[in-house]
Amino acid sequence: MKKIIALLLTCVMVLGLLAGCGGGKTTTETKAAPAATTPAAGDVTEAPAEAAPDTIVIMAPPVTGNYLENLKTWAADFHELHPNLTVEIIETSWGDHNDKMSTMAQAGEAPDIAEISSNALGTYVEMGVAIDIAQYLDADRLADYDANALKYLSLEGTVYGLPLYLTIQSIGANKTMMQELGIDVAKIQKEGWTYEEFLDVIKTGTKDGCYGFVFANSGVTASDMLYMFGAGAGLSNTFTSDLKYTFTSENMLTLLSAVEEMTQSGYMPNYGVEAGQRMVMCQTGNAMIFGKAMPLFEANFKKNNAALAANDGTAVENSLPMDYAFLPVPTMLGCEESCYGTVDGLIAMRNKNTTDEHLKNVLLFMDYICSGERIAACMNELYLDPVCQTGRDALVLEEGRDADNLATAARCIAMVQAPPEGVTAEMTSTAKKLMDEQIVPKFQLLLAGETTAQEVYDHICEAAYAAFGEENCVSGKLG
Amino acid sequence: MNSTKLKRQQVHHKLRFTNEDLWGYIFIAAAMIIFCVFTLYPVFSAIYTSFFNYKPFGSEFVGLQNYIDTLKYSKFNLFYKAALNTVIYTVVVVPLSLLLSFCIAVMILPFKKKTQSVFKAMYYLPGIASGVALSVVWLWLYDSSPDGIFNRLLGLFGIPAQNWLSSTKTSMLSLIIMALLSSHGVRIITYIAALLGIDNSYFEAAELDGATFFQKVRFIVWPLVKPTTLFLLVTGVIGSFQVFMNAYMMTGGGPDNSTTMIGLLIYNNAFVYGKYGLACAQAILLAIAIAIMSLFQFKLMGVDVEY
Repeated sequence: MKKIIALLLTCVMVLGLLAGCGGGKTTTETKAAPAATTPAAGDVTEAPAEAAPDTIVIMAPPVTGNYLENLKTWAADFHELHPNLTVEIIETSWGDHNDKMSTMAQAGEAPDIAEISSNALGTYVEMGVAIDIAQYLDADRLADYDANALKYLSLEGTVYGLPLYLTIQSIGANKTMMQELGIDVAKIQKEGWTYEEFLDVIKTGTKDGCYGFVFANSGVTASDMLYMFGAGAGLSNTFTSDLKYTFTSENMLTLLSAVEEMTQSGYMPNYGVEAGQRMVMCQTGNAMIFGKAMPLFEANFKKNNAALAANDGTAVENSLPMDYAFLPVPTMLGCEESCYGTVDGLIAMRNKNTTDEHLKNVLLFMDYICSGERIAACMNELYLDPVCQTGRDALVLEEGRDADNLATAARCIAMVQAPPEGVTAEMTSTAKKLMDEQIVPKFQLLLAGETTAQEVYDHICEAAYAAFGEENCVSGKLG
Repeated sequence: MNSTKLKRQQVHHKLRFTNEDLWGYIFIAAAMIIFCVFTLYPVFSAIYTSFFNYKPFGSEFVGLQNYIDTLKYSKFNLFYKAALNTVIYTVVVVPLSLLLSFCIAVMILPFKKKTQSVFKAMYYLPGIASGVALSVVWLWLYDSSPDGIFNRLLGLFGIPAQNWLSSTKTSMLSLIIMALLSSHGVRIITYIAALLGIDNSYFEAAELDGATFFQKVRFIVWPLVKPTTLFLLVTGVIGSFQVFMNAYMMTGGGPDNSTTMIGLLIYNNAFVYGKYGLACAQAILLAIAIAIMSLFQFKLMGVDVEY
């Protein structure tokens, strides 16, 4: 008897351990979620009653504060419109989203729809799991999305996903302090500024206990500085229209020299600043301008001001009341003003159960959540403009938004240059590896003051020539 | 004739499959299933995958290409730099950790059992906490601003603030300090168990001969705990070669790849760049290196070790 009990316990233990290998998903069934919104004018038509039942799996991180909750509502609405289609949501955090997605994709069990940053598209195309969505989506629906944004989710002319938003990354500032120092913030926002003007401003803003400029440069966040200021130095894209690698151009040396000058100037900290510290440094009066910044930060500053006024203990410790200004990045070398932007979107992915009929359903839902009032709601939370016509039509701007910031954001979005056509998945994945393994590590060294701009530039050129061939890299000045 | 028959009967009896044997095999099966599913299958699967350009739908056989790509020397091939970083980390962390644990164990030993337990619990505590949570605490300690905790401590001695994790001069040192100041629990408990196993008569004899404390440690304790030291050294080297969390959470491998370890490189190739074949080849090479190192340690240190 004892043996039988022991055997049973052993079996339970083994089965318990093996249970994790099963196909069970940690999903949220959305059938029961409340239906709160009504379908917009541009929404899909109702499916025929006899259509076969199908389940669509979407994996998404909290794109906005309310995104995952909204997604449940939209999935329920969609189910009402198409009773044969059920949506399962795999909720992820930003921290584990990419790893989870990559692991599932490699195992052939990718979700049908997944959130992705355009920078990572090449990896999934090379893996053979990204799907050409144009085959499964009506052409008029695809035409609803801005061509510029779609280019970010395309490789070699094939569209792999629908854009959620085009995010712009630039710099932000303590507007109150800048105005007190006599700096014409409105002019900078309207007309842009040069690197020399920027240097003068951060010099003015630097005083005891306060840096004129702070940038989150610790660890991998250093690459943000390269991309952002790179846009101002004419390095808006990794490849030129004739598909040559741009980071070997003289523009890169100019950019690196500017960064070297900034780190040695004393106008910005000469130590590693974590991503979470930069805005806090601005709010506490320890920095005047900070990066990277997005239009959305206006909401954070307003919330903090309200908390300070209410004195309810929720404000950032030692923070001061101040207005937020979203600023364009300064230009270098007489380059045209530009802004760094990326597209985050949803891609359709192949898994072991993918069929053509299923993909049509997948695209139906993907289009549904990327357009109309759904995307308008997201954009209101992110302080961004929708990148599809139905989204713009449905957008009702929240009241109280700073008109100058709004106009600057719109101007910056218009300046974002989409990647050129013809770039292959292999090129993007080689460029990503080059950036992660060679450029960013050397750039970190430059930020730490342990090398010179020229040495970093020489290393980048050598590494790029080895990766792409010298003939496929830009030499001299761009443009 | 009779004797031959008896021998045959004995052999037959030995080979007979009894009811008791069946139960034995059933219980062994539980462990074997777990071992096969979670250890053996992944190992063979990794070896198999290392010969492919892995894709979920249609992998391409590439032979030894992943191994060639890994081992081909180039200024831009991170494998060698990562290997060197891992060796430096291991060479510093493992012996110092052992020495530290041994010293702490020797210092704890004279206390009463209850006091010993308190110390053992205190040293074991960081092992229970999540590595991620610990890393966050260490990130806070290594804050590079002049207000950072370690920088304030240095300031008390007039030493300027350090760019702990963002400078090549201090990044590896920071990870080493972090490894040295956390997770000694298992080693200390193992050493204390070994120390308690030493017969008191050795110490009594040494005292009669007028041996000092350090002489007792040098000539009695150290040789008698050598099997334990060898075990901790081998497992420590294996663990250290597989180090991943510290570099991933604290530095991401930077600056200038000065803290990129083999484990992090394999992770990046698999999960960031989607190159499973290459990652598997690198993992197999790492396993071979660890096996060779372990063999070498057993040969070198195990000469006069008796179990």
